[in-house]
Amino acid sequence: MTNRFGLPDLGVGLGLRSVHYPHILAERPSVDWFEVLSENYMQTAGRPLYFLDAIAERYPVVLHGVSLSIGSTDPLDMAYLAELRALRDRTRARWVSDHLCWTGVAGKNTHDLLPLPYTEEGLRHVTARVRAVQDVLGAPLALENPSTYVEHAGASMREWEFLARLAEQADCAILLDVNNVFVSAYNHGFEPATYLAAIPFDRVVQFHVAGHTHHGTHIIDSHIGPVTDAVWRLLGEAYRRSGGASVLMEWDAEIPDFATTHAEALRAKEFIQVPSPSRS
Amino acid sequence: MRRDVVEIETLRERASATPDPQGPRPRVGGPTPSRSVIGDDAGEDASLRSRQLRFTRGLMTPESSPGTLDEGSAARWLTPGPRLTALERFEIYRRGYHARLIECLSDDYPASRHALGEAPFDDLCRAYIARFPSTGPNLNPFGRHMADFLREQVPEPFPARAFAADIASLEWAIVEVIHAASEPPLSLESLEGVQADGWGAVRLEPTPALRLLRFGHPVNEYFRAFRHDESPAIPAPAPSAAVVYRSGPTVWRMDLNEPMMAVLSALVAGEPLGEALARAEGLLSHLEAAETATRVTTWFREWVGHGVFARARW
Repeated sequence: MTNRFGLPDLGVGLGLRSVHYPHILAERPSVDWFEVLSENYMQTAGRPLYFLDAIAERYPVVLHGVSLSIGSTDPLDMAYLAELRALRDRTRARWVSDHLCWTGVAGKNTHDLLPLPYTEEGLRHVTARVRAVQDVLGAPLALENPSTYVEHAGASMREWEFLARLAEQADCAILLDVNNVFVSAYNHGFEPATYLAAIPFDRVVQFHVAGHTHHGTHIIDSHIGPVTDAVWRLLGEAYRRSGGASVLMEWDAEIPDFATTHAEALRAKEFIQVPSPSRS
Repeated sequence: MRRDVVEIETLRERASATPDPQGPRPRVGGPTPSRSVIGDDAGEDASLRSRQLRFTRGLMTPESSPGTLDEGSAARWLTPGPRLTALERFEIYRRGYHARLIECLSDDYPASRHALGEAPFDDLCRAYIARFPSTGPNLNPFGRHMADFLREQVPEPFPARAFAADIASLEWAIVEVIHAASEPPLSLESLEGVQADGWGAVRLEPTPALRLLRFGHPVNEYFRAFRHDESPAIPAPAPSAAVVYRSGPTVWRMDLNEPMMAVLSALVAGEPLGEALARAEGLLSHLEAAETATRVTTWFREWVGHGVFARARW
């Protein structure tokens, strides 16, 4: 199965991190693609763009944001969307993604991925906003399932149903973060398989994997350290259902050298059935 | 004229989607160890907007605030998990909110953090966060108020407040220079068309990625020592000046003595070279005119060579 949007399977990619800039530019490692954190290259005219331009010239990139706040009841930030579109065009990013969440309200931004109440009101609200964002971008938006640590009382559906219905109604893509499925499943007491069973895999254009921090009572989506075997196996299952989609490993703190980070990302190939395509 | 590069390859990602890895410890018994305002002057309104207002109000409550929360009010709007109460689950977000912004400020002000000490710096950050909550989609400008906050709003006796404001000014200048646009530098060769008697009328435009700074302490030297892991002590007050600028991907800091600062300030302000030279002559009156001219010419050639200017007009 390929995704319904015709977006390419870029292979196994790596999150672009500033600590790796010197190595990437000097050594030009063979990497299928990079995921770029959008906001790091917005509201800047300087050094970050210097490196981004050099890297985007050589490698396919995808934009991944954390401040779209698609679920907020504040109006969409049209200046932010215009800048995001310009960044997409500048980098020739293959697609743009962000999270199914909200980050603030009443003009404040918490810069965290806050959980939505999974209600019919919430579904209507987010659907309308996703359509509006896609109109601005002129392309499908990929929304990532977040890790969450609390759920809202009075929800009328679970997150997997909300995401599946949203994707259908808004005709958007899904970035399926299997680490987040694992983390949320532990935190809220459901089975990851239940989540996967509800996902429309023809809408999945990308997977995320990452490390996490286990506290016993709960797991935090820390993006620290290697991916656990359980998450790798979950990727394998999800990948099999999708028929193939781009895979990206996130490592955001205590980041090791490039070779170690890239080697960890390439472990994905042990768990996915279709070989990674060569870099275009 | 010594200049030092700012090692910023390890400038951390600003937009990482990584919450605080510190989670709540399981409650063994007794009262809830921390409380936050999550409740309920919004009454029973379960609308999406009200839920979000309620959630953020609780989230942004200072961690030191006594608040009015109990498990009952948390459980009205949030759910317990398999191992944690609704309140404990909410507290993950509240701690994460403050931790993330403290981390952001620590990234922008590492020398300030060293100078003040971790705990006082973290307390300063909490006060800053309460005073200047983020209102935009990007954390890049979040820390822009720190130097003014230290000078004007942090009460005495805050340890080394005046020095902290100085070092914060330098560190924010570095952030601004990182994010400013830059242009191809003016070269000495491009000035070959200036006639011998025309130099006095030459006006120079600095690169946009440049900041001139005056301090009440030897801040640049402190910053250099800090970057070289020398664990410097807070210095005694003494006037100093520096220029911070970026050439390509590299950020530089350069000490300026008073005559240098006078000349470079004048040039950056758009004064013609002849008038800038006159300022130096006044400050170097103990020197022969020829030596003054030689010094200023040397400074000028080095500044151009280092990429401080973007263009010239004559």
